[in-house]
Amino acid sequence: MSENEKKLSGAESLRKTRTYGKFRCHNPSCMGRMQPAAGQKTIKCPACNMEFRMAWVKPDFPRIRGPVWNVNREIAEKVRADKGAVPPTSKKEKK
Amino acid sequence: MALDRKIAYIDLTTGEIEIKPIPLQLRKKYLGGRGLDAYLLYNHTKKGCDPLGPGNALLVSGGILCATLASATARTHFMAKSPLTGLLGSTNMGGFFAPELAWAGFHHLVIKGKAEKPVYLWINNGKIEVRDAAALWGKTTTDTQWAIRKELNDEEIKSAVIGPAGENLVRFANVMTGIKNAGGRSGIGAVMGSKNLKAIAVRGTMDVKIAHPIEALEYNKKFIDQIVSSKVNQTQGILGTPFIWGATNSWGGIRTRNFQYNQCEYADDIEPERIDEIAEETMGPYHMVSCFACQVHCRAQYKIPSGPYAGKYDEGPEYTSQGAFGAEPDCKNAETVLVGNHLVDQYGMDNLETGSLISWAMELYELGIIGSKETDGLDLRFGNDEALIEMIHRICFRKSFIGDALADGGIPASKKIGKKSFDYLIQVKGMSNLHSDERATPSLALGIATGSRGSDHLRSRPAIDLYHLPEDVLRKIYGSPVPYDGPLSPDHTSYEGKAWMVFWQENCYMGVDCLGICKYHTLFLGATHPNFEDWPKVLYLNTGLEMTPKEIWEIAERSYNIERLFNLREGLKRDDLEKGDTLNHRYFDEPCLRGAPDVIGAKIDREKFEKMIDEYYVHHGWDENGVPTAETLKRLGIDEEPSHLL
Repeated sequence: MSENEKKLSGAESLRKTRTYGKFRCHNPSCMGRMQPAAGQKTIKCPACNMEFRMAWVKPDFPRIRGPVWNVNREIAEKVRADKGAVPPTSKKEKK
Repeated sequence: MALDRKIAYIDLTTGEIEIKPIPLQLRKKYLGGRGLDAYLLYNHTKKGCDPLGPGNALLVSGGILCATLASATARTHFMAKSPLTGLLGSTNMGGFFAPELAWAGFHHLVIKGKAEKPVYLWINNGKIEVRDAAALWGKTTTDTQWAIRKELNDEEIKSAVIGPAGENLVRFANVMTGIKNAGGRSGIGAVMGSKNLKAIAVRGTMDVKIAHPIEALEYNKKFIDQIVSSKVNQTQGILGTPFIWGATNSWGGIRTRNFQYNQCEYADDIEPERIDEIAEETMGPYHMVSCFACQVHCRAQYKIPSGPYAGKYDEGPEYTSQGAFGAEPDCKNAETVLVGNHLVDQYGMDNLETGSLISWAMELYELGIIGSKETDGLDLRFGNDEALIEMIHRICFRKSFIGDALADGGIPASKKIGKKSFDYLIQVKGMSNLHSDERATPSLALGIATGSRGSDHLRSRPAIDLYHLPEDVLRKIYGSPVPYDGPLSPDHTSYEGKAWMVFWQENCYMGVDCLGICKYHTLFLGATHPNFEDWPKVLYLNTGLEMTPKEIWEIAERSYNIERLFNLREGLKRDDLEKGDTLNHRYFDEPCLRGAPDVIGAKIDREKFEKMIDEYYVHHGWDENGVPTAETLKRLGIDEEPSHLL
């Protein structure tokens, strides 16, 4: 789509970086690439141990729906303790 | 030819209407849409004018590519002085209105004055008529549109309307078209209400001649292929904008309980996949629809599945409604999100502002800053779905102290409530933030702090900063069309080079807003989406106007500077918590408590943030107070504004 027909624009040239059937870990400091098996419902990042629930946009198109909440909370509580961050007043919240 | 679309000046006080061509000289400086509107606003309003007075100018426009063969050119832009912020009011909506306006012969409208009684504008193939709207006043946004079609006996009429919120001068009232296409955020609906202008109805069958039609069609195929092959847009075509939730709520980027948390835990019922299930159950498998000339079709149709509003039809909800009526008030029921979305659509009220302000009030209630006296007995605690819905009604109709106070916006409400209520208000320049939490992402924090219409994710957000793209890829993107060899970090927690990324995205989003293209068709959520290099040819083939990528960048920069001049004229000051380029203290003082390991504990470093602002100003050619220097204004050819050329 560049002005020069023989040359690719930046957007076009980056198209080769697209990957189908894979996704990246949603921990932004990890971003590890994961490739689930067809129909898989949860996935654990081998790099950072975060665990996610999965959804399938199409049979060959996986995406992360959200964290596995109990695992997410366990990891968060440990990190908060390590960092000395103020614990949340989560008792008041609805599950 | 797209370039022969006209501008119309309508004075609602006198009823006078004047129609003029748009000089090519101004097209070359601003293209159209938001850019030309910024020029018009600066030229047609006086310093300090009352946003709800007859002196405010309401500008309506389509981009220069509107109604051509280019893709996703449905956007309608509105601009005025904002009654919410007292600064720039600007909003951009999808649907079918702007193309219809172009087929009716117009790209721009300038509406001034105030009608004596409710009226609407009827624009039909080059003619403009002011008509009585007494029978429309009080109607919802959808009912208004159908009533106009019935009155004029044409179901193809497209209207931009206000609902009861605009009539009641709720300072974040929307202008709406279709069921849910919303011109939201800065209170343009209230500006229309203040002018007694209920609607603008258009119907057009005038040709828009294309400069090189065969080549334009061929070239557009490439655009479409680039768009529909991207994973982002394929997902969006199935789940709509709520698809973003999967990532942001996983890593901890969702503002929850006003600003107490950064992740909405155990909220599976409001995740996009669940909303999609409801849409499919109530509307069938083909429930996604699109705006004019768009291949993404990101708008879901749904009916409310249960409860008092069961069976009511609406569209969306957008990602913003998930946050506004889900995470922020901590209401984790899909039905509540769908009802909240429906009500603000029908009332014509900004979803994001509404949900944010109610959530703020909920925090004040739990802190004891307000009590049942202020809420008139309403138990305004977090997670109370019924109270949330009740508050939407109260704001729209200004009922009870708290409903009326919130209807005036956060800052005026904080002055009425007093105590330390302002400290808890999550806003920039008087506009509430999106439900995203930017404490772990300095680039996003800079973007909301400096947005020209107040806190905003659609003016400059470098969303791809969260993708951790390799530096060489970032340089390929952010190093064109203007060379950049400064720092550029792929790390989202870094402050390095983020000022440039925000500056670049500002110009990119201004570029599409002048062209009239949807932001989902440029480099916003997808790193491989078209941008500066891809636009000149589509512009040339459709309009005949020849420009380089750098010239389009300069147009964007010029337009952004005009917006800045307007804001400075109306009182913007760098460190002003009410009208400045800064953030609520909680961004700097309260760490994130949830989300991914590196997000927990994150907050914005004030010193580094200020340095980022300095860098951002330098990229713009502004001084340390954020004022464009004389050299910058001269370089951009706006050193003699207002020039009153149009």
